[in-house]
Amino acid sequence: MASSYLPPFEGTGEVKEGFLCPLCLKDLQSFYQLQEHYEEEHSGDDRHVRGQLKSLVQKAKKAKDKLLKRDGEDKPEMDSYESFYYGGVDPYMWEPQELGATRSHLDFFKKHRAARIDHYVIEVNKLIIRLEKLTSFDRMNIDAGKIRVIEKSVVSWVSDSDVPFCPDCGNKFNLRNRRHHCRLCGSIMCKKCMEFVPLPLAYKLTSGTREALSVPGSPGQSQSPPTGGGGGSISGMGSRRGSISSLSSVTSILEEKDDERIRCCCHCMDTLMRKQQKLEEKDHVPDIVKLYERLRLCMDKVDERAPEYIRMAESLNAGETTYNLDTAGGLRMEVQKYYELIDALSKRILTLGMKEEPQPHPKNLQLQRMVRYTATLFVQEKLLGLMSLPTKDKYEELKMKRKQEQEKRLAQERLAAQKRRQDSEKNRPASSTNGEPPQAPRVLRMTKAGGWLPSSDTLHTHGELEDPMLQQIENIRSFLRQAKAAHRHDEVAMLEENLRQLQDEYDQQQTHLAITLSQRLAQEELQHLEDRERGKMKHRAQSQAPGSTQATYTWQGSLNLTDTGSLHRDGEEELTPKAERSPPSMRAFPALTDQDEESPQWLGGDVEGQNSASFNPFEEDSTTVEEDPSNPFSEEIQKEHNEVANGKKEYNPFEEEEEGGVQGQADGVTGNPFEEEEENDEGNPFKEASGITPPGASTNPFEEEGEAAMPDVDLIEEELLLQQIDNIRAYIFDAKLNGRLDEVELLSENLRELQRTLQEQKLKTH
Amino acid sequence: MNVTLAVKQYISKMIENSGPGMKVLLMDKETTSIVSVVYTQSEILQKEVYLFERIDSQNRDNMKHLKAICFLRPTKENVENLIQELRRPKYSVYFIYFSNVISKSEIKALAEADEQEVVAEVQEFYGDFIAVNPHLFSLNLSGVARGRSWEPTLLPRTTQGLTSVLLALKKCPMIRYQLSSDMAKRLGESVKQIITKEYELFDFRKTEVPPLLLILDRSDDAITPLLNQWTYQAMVHELLGLNNNRIDLSRVPGISKDLKEVVLSAENDEFYANNLYLNFGEIGTNIKNLMEDFQKKKPKEQQKLESISDMKAFVDNYPQFKKMSGTVSKHVTVVGELSRLVSERQLMEVSELEQELACQNDHSSASQNVRRLLQNPRVSEMDAVRLVMLYALRYERHSSSILPGLMEELNRKGVSEKHCRMVTSMVEYGGKRVRGSDLVNPQDAVAITKQFFKGLKGVENVYTQHAPLLQETLDQLIKGRLKDTNFPYLGPSSLRDRPQDIIVFVIGGATYEEALAIYNLNRTVPGIRIVLGGTTIHNTKSFLEEVSLTAGAGQAERLQRAGGHPNRR
Repeated sequence: MASSYLPPFEGTGEVKEGFLCPLCLKDLQSFYQLQEHYEEEHSGDDRHVRGQLKSLVQKAKKAKDKLLKRDGEDKPEMDSYESFYYGGVDPYMWEPQELGATRSHLDFFKKHRAARIDHYVIEVNKLIIRLEKLTSFDRMNIDAGKIRVIEKSVVSWVSDSDVPFCPDCGNKFNLRNRRHHCRLCGSIMCKKCMEFVPLPLAYKLTSGTREALSVPGSPGQSQSPPTGGGGGSISGMGSRRGSISSLSSVTSILEEKDDERIRCCCHCMDTLMRKQQKLEEKDHVPDIVKLYERLRLCMDKVDERAPEYIRMAESLNAGETTYNLDTAGGLRMEVQKYYELIDALSKRILTLGMKEEPQPHPKNLQLQRMVRYTATLFVQEKLLGLMSLPTKDKYEELKMKRKQEQEKRLAQERLAAQKRRQDSEKNRPASSTNGEPPQAPRVLRMTKAGGWLPSSDTLHTHGELEDPMLQQIENIRSFLRQAKAAHRHDEVAMLEENLRQLQDEYDQQQTHLAITLSQRLAQEELQHLEDRERGKMKHRAQSQAPGSTQATYTWQGSLNLTDTGSLHRDGEEELTPKAERSPPSMRAFPALTDQDEESPQWLGGDVEGQNSASFNPFEEDSTTVEEDPSNPFSEEIQKEHNEVANGKKEYNPFEEEEEGGVQGQADGVTGNPFEEEEENDEGNPFKEASGITPPGASTNPFEEEGEAAMPDVDLIEEELLLQQIDNIRAYIFDAKLNGRLDEVELLSENLRELQRTLQEQKLKTH
Repeated sequence: MNVTLAVKQYISKMIENSGPGMKVLLMDKETTSIVSVVYTQSEILQKEVYLFERIDSQNRDNMKHLKAICFLRPTKENVENLIQELRRPKYSVYFIYFSNVISKSEIKALAEADEQEVVAEVQEFYGDFIAVNPHLFSLNLSGVARGRSWEPTLLPRTTQGLTSVLLALKKCPMIRYQLSSDMAKRLGESVKQIITKEYELFDFRKTEVPPLLLILDRSDDAITPLLNQWTYQAMVHELLGLNNNRIDLSRVPGISKDLKEVVLSAENDEFYANNLYLNFGEIGTNIKNLMEDFQKKKPKEQQKLESISDMKAFVDNYPQFKKMSGTVSKHVTVVGELSRLVSERQLMEVSELEQELACQNDHSSASQNVRRLLQNPRVSEMDAVRLVMLYALRYERHSSSILPGLMEELNRKGVSEKHCRMVTSMVEYGGKRVRGSDLVNPQDAVAITKQFFKGLKGVENVYTQHAPLLQETLDQLIKGRLKDTNFPYLGPSSLRDRPQDIIVFVIGGATYEEALAIYNLNRTVPGIRIVLGGTTIHNTKSFLEEVSLTAGAGQAERLQRAGGHPNRR
């Protein structure tokens, strides 16, 4: 392939270039990302690494230029870091800095607090001990005088004569305004400033638990309250001071009969109330906290599981065989369960206490709303990042394609290598001293192979070698390289020639095979081509060294395997790298520029519309290309393609589809696909599709297409439908939340439609 | 040296310190601004902070299931409020952070109030400034001067703000100040005093070249804040007013409810980040592209999505779409309003003349043009006044000054008495008498040649000819040519090498035009980092207020000298 520019070099594991992290050699697509990555991952590392980064960027750039023979010719995208090391630095890219100065006063604070707290705790404890003494006898059956004696023994009472005025309100004591002693501290106050500790509260405080309140027959729970006010004091007893003061006002009519309450001053009461509050809070966990803890647990799980899943899905979608499709599916289900749970939990938090009277404090409601909002954000952000998995069929295809892609990469590398070789021929000393890091291993290999013999073991450093076919491809490449290293130019030329021929054959075959994936026709053709190929190889083998016969043999093998699956590599080349490269944050804009390109595909996008729930338009593109066999147009494409000369080398999906469109529809070239569809007929793309490929005459678009294209896709689609329904539900909620009623309407209509389809489908399948 | 990052790091550290669980952030009025400029609500929500409360708010319920993070300035009222809070704690635990140095006695008072042992942390985190951009901070203080000296309460406040920047960036600088300004010297001394007093705090790792703090006075360059601006950020501030990165659009005719106040933050808004320093024309193109992109992506409005795939496309793009639709409508509204104002107030013409006044030296043409524009009924009162001010500042001592004539013209135009008086106040504030550097007529040979060549080359863009004085000053500073006679060092030692890390502080307020100049210096000059700060960030309106506050207090002073006023000649 001639397109040596924009080579998808990354991932070969050999030549790393561009924005690599100097510490972990992770490839980042732009300077900004690198910077970000650097800040995130290595901010703790030494600062000097920065210098390394600079030099590495420089080196990488040099290497790239050399590789592509573009000395001196800079791409515009370089500018961003060009200015970075020639000029100053954009303030947005200043190097990461440590946390600013801080100073802690905690020790000083604690020291002073400790002094205070000791004092406070002693005070409280004193009160509690006295309270215990005061409640340790049966107050009911002892006469007032005896009680008074006991009370006086607990704390010495201030003598009446010392206190002519109430220390709190300042009123003069006289016959009507009598003195009262606090039983806890012994001080004197007027009636108004006095309060009462009801016995249940006293028990609660002394025992430190609530049990005193609920245990029947406890001394505090007197069965026959002497006064109505007293009865009220028990039932209304709680933490609220109001009930107590009102109680005291009721009982104030009666003479001092402190049967079930203990007289105390407001200061002591205050201290006791605080203590009581603390006790209460200690073992009280509000509902919101319980729910919230569960919510966080789920979120943590998602945070833990989702990246794992995404890694799997990415790998699977790229056609790698590292992970199992089923495990990934299981993981996906698991993650989705968590999302549902998060949604449900946050909803419950939102509605907590809504029905209760009185309504919770507005701040509480606000808190609940905010928690819910955060959960919604979380779900939106993370759930939509969950890309879909390929279906089984698609996965097979993807695997094939990946192989092919690698093949292609090899070809390109070979091309580059060839150029390099030519270079080195011209000025060998220069190339041997240039010391580009990526080339270093190769230089080693060169020197090692004194007497040249292809040794395939050198290649085991590569990533994807579990596939024997791939290994063979690698072998060829290695032979080529070794041949080059040994300066066996004749052999190199031959090998390259062969590879190129192979490539051409590929292209031809793939175009056919791709289209007629499950059809015999293609296989016949393949047979034919293979025969041809074999003939060529034999011819070649005669003139080649034994090492290269081995190579030819492997080509044959690889030919058979690879060409079955992957299609139109061009389209994929264009699209997949974009999808992979564009970082999430930057997707929005580049996406739009490709709009025109993708629009024709949307025509046939119905099937994969259900298959992939990916939110990234790019991904969608790449999958679209892959899914062509299941495309309603594919038959046209076949026919068409059969008509078109066999020699057509590159299969361009866009072209094809457009042509197919022209055949099958009124027009399909420009404009918005949606509009187009509306113009064509009643706006139902499915109908249109069924017009082209009329299998079963069922009216269900899913069914129809499933049968036409992929017989075993039904179940998965159902799952995806469900997922889609969930998604839409989330959006409806979101839209409601933001008061966009028109959107809500639109979405709910869609939701209904989806549900209907789902039901229909269920009926059909069962 | 990134001030935004410095504040962000402080805040995320606070939140981190408090561990998991639901949290409430207790702030005062000023720290609320400090936090809200660097963090969006959703960002901070993700850190489990669900409520934002003012410490002085009475409407707070007991919520013992929340942890409280208090970020407060160490003011008397705040400490008093906090003491009350600790006496009757509403939340389970308190993590207390003061944005500046707090006295031991206040800590003690707090400790004694914490009888329930709810306080888990007491620290000083020096985020006591508004981080507008990575290289730009403000203290949001206006009216710092009374005549030619400090408003007494604001000197300590400014000192606190400036020292907190130094602490947040971990810089213990050498200080240079503008000799012509007494305020600059006072501030420098005050900062130095704090550095000496809190020497333990300022004990940072020594760098090869010590950082430099340069303190300037706005009165040295009163022209820059009077000019209309044409880069996005500066223009928005000039015409709409940016307050803590927020614009109030409520006066825009026919504005929709959710766009009454919009946030323009380069941290979260990609479009804004990319266009912040571009000029109006470029933004027009970019906004058109943004719109087009949006139109393409936008699903047919109010129309049922016909097929599952339409729907899917919609749903898949939904979050992006939603985000984008927010961005699009925001920027379209803002740019639309800007261009409406530009045409309504004939700002192109006004600005051209402003630039001529500021950058060229042709009195006859200038006076003619000012007269002509003053007669144009569409030129607003504010613009008319500012033109006269620019004229007055520029040709203050010109032999054939037509200022009295222009003042009459203003009167005829019906410009209020208050505004007319402002012209004199302005000359008082930034006239030749007070200027240390030469703002308009370069004296030394190099500068003259430079101006000459500039004249030869012609002007690329008539609306952006003007370069603020600050740019020249810093250029000199970077090259090591800034004269010690005009900008002396505080203290005996001086810098031998060229400076590397520079903090510039403008008493009386910086401008976004200067921020852009600093941004460009940062980008083009290798090996230096410059941070710009000001008591506030001015547009013309706020600058006029500042000047009138300054002059208002100096009224008595002025009356005494009224007879010998230069403008009455």
